[in-house]
Amino acid sequence: MRKNALTGWLLLAPSLLLIGGLILYPILYNLWLSLFDKHAFMPAQSFVGLRHYRYFATDPEFWSSVYYGVVYAAVTMVFQLVLGVAAALLLNEAFRGRNLLRGVVLFPYLIPTIVAVILWKWLLNDSYGLVNHLLLVAGLVRTPVAWLGKDYIMPSLIITSVWQFFPFVVVTYLARLQTIPPELYEAARVDGATAWRRFLHVTLPATRTVLFVIILLRSIWMFTKFDTVWLMAGDGAVSRYIRTLPVYAYARSFTYLQAGMGAALAVLMFGMLLAATGVYFRLFRDEELRS
Amino acid sequence: MRGPVIRRAIGLYGAGALLLLVAAFPLLWMLATSLKPSGEIFATPPTLVPAHPTATNFTRLMAETNFLLFFQNSLAVSLTTVLLTLTVSALGAYGLTRYTFAGREKIAGLILLTYMFAPIMIIIPFYILVRQLGIANTHLALVLSYTTFCLPFCLWLLRAFFQSIPLELEEAALVDGAHRGKAVWYVVLPLALPGLIAAGIFTFILAWNDFLFALVLITSEELKTLPVGVNDLFNATIVDWGMIMAAGVMITVPTVAFFVAVQRYLIQGWGAGGVKG
Repeated sequence: MRKNALTGWLLLAPSLLLIGGLILYPILYNLWLSLFDKHAFMPAQSFVGLRHYRYFATDPEFWSSVYYGVVYAAVTMVFQLVLGVAAALLLNEAFRGRNLLRGVVLFPYLIPTIVAVILWKWLLNDSYGLVNHLLLVAGLVRTPVAWLGKDYIMPSLIITSVWQFFPFVVVTYLARLQTIPPELYEAARVDGATAWRRFLHVTLPATRTVLFVIILLRSIWMFTKFDTVWLMAGDGAVSRYIRTLPVYAYARSFTYLQAGMGAALAVLMFGMLLAATGVYFRLFRDEELRS
Repeated sequence: MRGPVIRRAIGLYGAGALLLLVAAFPLLWMLATSLKPSGEIFATPPTLVPAHPTATNFTRLMAETNFLLFFQNSLAVSLTTVLLTLTVSALGAYGLTRYTFAGREKIAGLILLTYMFAPIMIIIPFYILVRQLGIANTHLALVLSYTTFCLPFCLWLLRAFFQSIPLELEEAALVDGAHRGKAVWYVVLPLALPGLIAAGIFTFILAWNDFLFALVLITSEELKTLPVGVNDLFNATIVDWGMIMAAGVMITVPTVAFFVAVQRYLIQGWGAGGVKG
């Protein structure tokens, strides 16, 4: 290890300049901005203190966006987790074609969001979509379902999002599964444990930490997801049935051009995530102490 | 003993087929639709494999829309971002692993912390800042934003790779008379290649896929990148499904091609750091 501090700093300088200038500074500026009334383009601004925050406390649109955001994040997270863990367990077994499948399963996660969304809008199209066709043929519905109408737009958004993001769970969980020593399973098998019991008593305890991280990251990333939600309905008529907090913050800033209010929403979003993360860590620690 | 073995095989391959269906079928359906003539697209019952495959949707996409322009823009922005991100993060990661200075670990931690911020949470001040810098509505603004948002991940990934390269190898090269630049170029970088490739792919995919920054920072039609350009196409009065699916296929191809070419490295890198999305 060399002790030439100056060279070390110089090598890091471009990174620090970019991260400091384009992430850290905007974070602080955002806090500051949330105390002002400011148009998104015009330079004029006036100090209003905590007025935006007081406004949102009784703003029905804000509370509905929190509600939709929590529902969206929680439901998509649970389905991604179940589907992702099941797929990872499968891909951890030995069978022919496994490596190919490990690659293919990643595709939904790698393609651009715009592709995932137009693809599912086509599959879920009410008149010509394949999903409605199959449902009708199977006799499960009598008339085509308006998947992208106001009643089903949230389920459709959830289906699209789960499909798009479950591969993250697969890869992360699989990486951990592969490090569990096979002897543990051998021992359990000798003891006559069924596959379900082996999962419960060997796999689950060994993967607790990675599950903790997956749940945390996926919840945060789904709660702050903008593009999938926005692209699903744009600012069309049904958009208000899936208007989550990030979309509301975007609309305040770039549709109503109220940059100060948008900034306040971003601060509130961050505050909620921080509080939820704190509670989550505490729960996990208590759980850890008990077991 | 045979019964359970066969049952297990059936279970495994059945579940495998189901997973393949879930992951790949929607994409194959997109490909099938893109190759159908317009009459067949709306046929009932739908055809799984196009009965009369045609490239019309693709040729019309190229001829009648700005798709090729958007494609060029996306490619230029993404590749520039990859080059810049790899250069900046390789320098930074080298500094973090090969030099000791006060606060080094704190800085690494702070960098990781910034990884937790979603772009939507700072897009407003970011937009105002970009306007103040006078680079709103330029590709430079996109490149800088993508680079910055990829940096925390790439720095951590490359830091892990550099840490695993023994210092002795580098020192041996120095003893042999190479100067430091040469030692890094010929010894360290080749050994860190899997990490560089993984970081490069992540960066490319993030830049190629991004919608939010492109939506907010770019207003001129001729500067738009694919996601926003294709979304505009979709929002036209009558949705031309054949053409939209052709666009979807075209955007997906570079990602899949890149991925297939370097899959080994990607999985390795993924294991080392995880990727956001």
